[in-house]
Formats: sequence, structure tokens, C-alpha cells
Amino acid sequence: MTSSPDPSQTELAADNVPGRTPAIETHGLSKHFGQRKAVDGLTMSIPAGTIAGFVGPNGAGKTTTIRLLLGLVRPSAGSATILGQLLTHPERYLPCVGALIEAPTFYPSLSGRTNLEVLAHLGDYPRSRVSQVLELVELSDRAKDPVRTYSQGMKQRLGVAMALLPDPDLLILDEPANGLDPLGIIGMRDLLRRLREQSKTVFLSSHLLGELEQVTDWLVMLHQGKALFSGPARELLDRRSELVVEAEEATQLDLVARIAREAGYTVTPDNGSLRIACPLDFSSELNRRAREAGATHIVIRTKEASLEERFLALLKGEHE
Amino acid sequence: MRAFRSELLKFRRWSVLAGSGVMILATAFIAYLTFHQITSGATGPELTPLIQAFPTPQGLITVVGQARSLIIVIALIMVTSNIAAEWSQGTLRNLLVREPRRLRLLSGKMLALLLGVSISATLTLAISAALILAAAHAQGISTAAWTSSEGMRTFLSFFGNEVLCLVGISLLGMLIAVLTRSVGAAVGIALAYVLVPEGVIAMVWQEGSRWFPVRVLNFLPGSTFPSTVGPTPPQGYPVALLVALLWMVGFVVVSAVVFRRQDINA
Repeated sequence: MTSSPDPSQTELAADNVPGRTPAIETHGLSKHFGQRKAVDGLTMSIPAGTIAGFVGPNGAGKTTTIRLLLGLVRPSAGSATILGQLLTHPERYLPCVGALIEAPTFYPSLSGRTNLEVLAHLGDYPRSRVSQVLELVELSDRAKDPVRTYSQGMKQRLGVAMALLPDPDLLILDEPANGLDPLGIIGMRDLLRRLREQSKTVFLSSHLLGELEQVTDWLVMLHQGKALFSGPARELLDRRSELVVEAEEATQLDLVARIAREAGYTVTPDNGSLRIACPLDFSSELNRRAREAGATHIVIRTKEASLEERFLALLKGEHE
Repeated sequence: MRAFRSELLKFRRWSVLAGSGVMILATAFIAYLTFHQITSGATGPELTPLIQAFPTPQGLITVVGQARSLIIVIALIMVTSNIAAEWSQGTLRNLLVREPRRLRLLSGKMLALLLGVSISATLTLAISAALILAAAHAQGISTAAWTSSEGMRTFLSFFGNEVLCLVGISLLGMLIAVLTRSVGAAVGIALAYVLVPEGVIAMVWQEGSRWFPVRVLNFLPGSTFPSTVGPTPPQGYPVALLVALLWMVGFVVVSAVVFRRQDINA
């Protein structure tokens, strides 16, 4: 069972960040294909200037959401604003948006450069911009070769170049690390961080949760077309952190367990130690109260949950 | 205009050049074959109207125009596959992100394709005509009637109507591509439609079939041939032209309405 989303909570999460105007804001956004609800009342808010991770299992509705945001499919219900413009007028915001959707697609018999020039003509960008983005993704030396001769990783980099073509304020990337080697992934991570430093917003869909954890400062978790979570990544990870308490005497552990339970946290005995699901900053208070109660020989360690653990917990419907 | 210029860049693809090349070579070959049959003294009921038209001002277009159906088929394949490939290859989403005004994108793309088809057809007819003229000179056959002012007028009329026919066929190809969204399905349906159903309907319902799009478009260049060669429009040229234009407007309107509302899932 999964926990159902609370739109008011997801809205609040965005509002809690002072001084940040949402780059993307959706309210009850839905897309139905016949009876199937690909996106089902999605409410989320992505502050500008962040790297926002967009995660969910296969079929959760991530790509459909991205297509909705890019005006490629029409919503069945709900509304959204992108860079302050209504979703119904994509011509107003797409000039400032770069996108890489699923596997990048090109004209295989044309060169990488000509593929970008096709889009540069269409978007009315100068030809010099094509050279710039090719340089940025380190494809200048192969730019004249037909795309059909490119490796998967090179195509992916060309796809990123394509997305960067308009020097976008908002970059929407769907699985950008697909096919990249470890060096390519590190390069991608650096690129995303550089973009954030330039106050650009990155909306990043990926299955590589470990990778997302390293770069994102905002998270949207999607399941069955609904947002399970939309808020600061730190907030989500903190919620699932644990304190691990060890002591030589069982009576001292009992004291600590009682204190933690009285504070409202779940305590799980685990091979002569205790696992307490609580915010990490409860550690000092627990230590103080344990000493006052006479438990003076305890060791408290913090254990941060990974994004993967949080993701699985949310999917299993664990309560916060 | 941006969509038009963007589309022109894609003409560098070998498939586009191959389509034009096949159109030129095949048409020239068929034209020469017809010329050879006529001048070699071959006879037969199918050749009789051609032999009769050969020394007249309509002689050149009668020979060159024998590959008209092939030109139509190649142009249809070029346009239909080009448009449908944007769905099949998934490149349409890239284009729409950069140009979300869909009608501008489609019209720019279509204008470039029509320009490409027109240039291919012009080269095809010019090269075939030059080949036949050169072959006639080489064999000492008089071409005075073909190059007379009436002959040139006839050729230009044929050329104009042929291009108009190709524009209509290309618009039909656009509609099929927009509806099917797949190269295989689009080309298959387009070819099947052009080659089979209208011909079959014509056999059982000749009166009605004269209003069908491919037939009515084909009447336009056909009207410049001698009536024994044809196909001349039974409803008269002005009516055929009007109906052809109505079909073209219909193809454009339906394509625009469908494309504007379509979800792009490719």
C-alpha cells in the first residue's frame, strides 16, 4: 500500500523556501489515455535555481509529465505554470526551456553539427551557439561525422547539447546519464552543478537514485501518476534517518528505549543495540536525557537513510 | 520561415537525394524507351496514339510524360516518408520543443518539401526533354514542332500542371503521414491508395471515380496531351482544376486540425 499524496503538504513544502519563485508549478495535473491514468492529479512545485530530482518506478508517469510540461501532450485536467507562463501557451516559455526526452533522437545520416543546426534554425539561435554547445559536451572533434556512427554515450552527449542550445533557464532532462561511462556521469554531474551556479533550474528524471542523491536539492517522487513527495531533498532524507544506540548493559538500552518512545519515536531492538527512527538532531537531547536518567555508558551513532531507502519506504507506504 | 530554413538543412540526407536521383533517371529511361519504340518503327494499339502525337507540338510531352505515374509515386513516397519519419524516429518532439506553434512547423516543413519536389520534378522533366531532343537530333528527326512557340507553350502548360498535380499529391501524402504517424504505414497506405482503390472504383463506378483526388489531380497534366493519349478530364479542365484545388484545401485543413490537437507520444 502506498501513502496517498497530500496536495496541501506538497504546496507547503515549496512555499517554505523563502525567496524562490517556482520554475514549475502544477495543480491537479492529469493525463488519461482512455481508462489509464498516466498522470493523476499531480501537484508539485519546483523552486527556481534548484536541481530537482524526479523519481518513480517505470510507468509512474514521469515521461508523460515531462511531455505535458513541454506541450507535447494535452492535459486531461489540471493546470500548470512553467517559468511563470501557463502550460496552455508553450510558445511563451519553451524558448527558455531545454529538454532531453527519453533516448535522444536524431537524423542518423546527418552530422551531429547539422542535427543541432536544424534545431538552431528552428529556434532562431546563432550558429555560434552550436559550436559552443558541441564544445561544452566535448563533441567538437566528431561534429562532422554522421550521428549513425556515434556511440550511445556520444548520442547522449549530443542530446544534452541539443537541450542546452537555447541557453535555457529551465533544463528538463529525462535519464541524461543513460549510456554514459563513469567519466561521462561525473562530467554530467559537474555540468548540472555549474548550471545551478548560474541560477538555472534543472528538472532531472533518473533511475540512478545514488546519482540523484549527490546532485539534487529538491525531490519529487511519483507513483501511479501522483506525487508521493515534493519538497527539499534534505527534508526527505532527514525524515528517514536513524540513531543507533549501543550499550554494554541491557538496562541502559531499556532506559534509552523508554526515553525515545516517550518522545514519540519508533524503537527497534537490533542485536544488542537500538535503532531509533527520528531526526538526527534528536541525538543530543537523547544523550542528555539518558545521562539524567542514569544511562551514562551509551554510544549514539547516526545513520542517514539513502534516497533509495526513502524511495522504497515511500513506495511501500510507510508512514512518516 | 524558420521552420522552412530548418527543413532545407535536412535535404542533405542521402534518402532525399536518392529519391530525386531515382525520379530523374527512371523518367529519363522511360522517356528514351518510349522514344526508341516510336522511332524504331514498332507498332501496336498502345503505341498508335503516341506515334500519331509524335510529330505534333505535343510530341515531346507525350514522350516525356510517359513516366508521369512514376514521378507521382516517387514524390508521394518522398513527402510521406519524410513527414512520417519525424514520428517514427522520434525527432518530432525535438522540433516541437523548439517550435511549439505546430501549424508554423507543419507549414514551414511542407513548403520546403514542396520546393524540393518541384525542383526534382523540374530537373526530371528538363533532363528528360533535353535527352529526347538530343536523341532526336542525333537520329536526324525534326524537332521543329516541339520547339515551336506552340510546342513550348504546350510544354510549359504540361510542366505547370504536372507541378500542380505533384503539389496535390504531396498534400495527400502529408495528410496520410499525419494520420498514420509511421513511415511503414504511411508509405504503404499512400501507395496502395494511389495504385489500387481509385482504379478499382473506376471500373465499377466510372461516373463517380472522376471526382476522386488522384484521378482528378492526374487529369490536370493529362489535359495537355492529345485526347487519344490523355487522361483528359471528362468534366472539363476548369471544373477539374476547381475540384483539385478543393481536395488540396481539404487535405491541408484536415492535416492542420489533426496535427494541432495530436498528442506527441513518439
